[in-house]
Amino acid sequence: MSAESLILFFIVGAFLVGIALLFSSIVPPTSTNPQKAEAYECGIPTEGLTWLQFNVGYYLFAIIFLIFDVETVFIFPWAVVMKEAGIAGFIEIVIFFFVLGLGLLYAWKKGALKWE
Amino acid sequence: MTSNQFMFLLFSAVIVIFSILTVTSRRILRAATFLLFVLVSTAGLYFLLKYNYLAAIQLTLYAGGIVVLIIFSILLTSHISEKLPTAGLLKKWPAALVALVGAALCIVVILQYNFPGSVVDTEVVNVRDIGNSLISYGEKGYALPFEVISVLLLAALIGAIVLAKKRKD
Repeated sequence: MSAESLILFFIVGAFLVGIALLFSSIVPPTSTNPQKAEAYECGIPTEGLTWLQFNVGYYLFAIIFLIFDVETVFIFPWAVVMKEAGIAGFIEIVIFFFVLGLGLLYAWKKGALKWE
Repeated sequence: MTSNQFMFLLFSAVIVIFSILTVTSRRILRAATFLLFVLVSTAGLYFLLKYNYLAAIQLTLYAGGIVVLIIFSILLTSHISEKLPTAGLLKKWPAALVALVGAALCIVVILQYNFPGSVVDTEVVNVRDIGNSLISYGEKGYALPFEVISVLLLAALIGAIVLAKKRKD
């Protein structure tokens, strides 16, 4: 990607978003009241702060996600050359998948994928 | 100023500004969000160098994975909405001193190096080359490291689950 196209991309992006915001602030009739500024929560008045303590389960999911994210990084280059790599490359990726499949099985068996 | 230089300066400015905001923000969740901008701009620098694969990794792993992990771990703590206290003078002066010495060392080393002025096209490493060398077992092949990575990831996965599950017992 050349720098010129990046600059053009930023300019066009800013222009599109800017035009949309400009028109939506000029054209429609506007009315303001305190309720409109609230965070949307199904019409019920919001209670307390949105920055509250989360369940510890999210963290485990995030870690598992990150590990499979790293896996994707290594599988992607293989996927690009899959056809020319032939059977040898295929066996290699099968071993790769097998070892990581063990990890997934372990996570499954330990109940790490279950929401508690 | 060429457009390359312009984009480099733009990305560098974003990285510097948001790095400073990251370390000076008194709200820890905002600091994590500022960090996201730093990481995305770094990916922009990689795109500028035509390191497309590295830029994609930077976006998926750092901007996608690590920041999510950081935000989740922040949300796990109970004092998210509180502002961090400002550091006292006893902490500020040694920190400033250490930062200054570190910066001075880096600047001196960089200035002493004589950068040879030459114009070379950036070497384009495409995903195809990386894929070929990842799975080939010949001269420049990385087939064995590729398989070892899967064992490493397995160890990381099991370790993460063991550590996270231990807390509940």
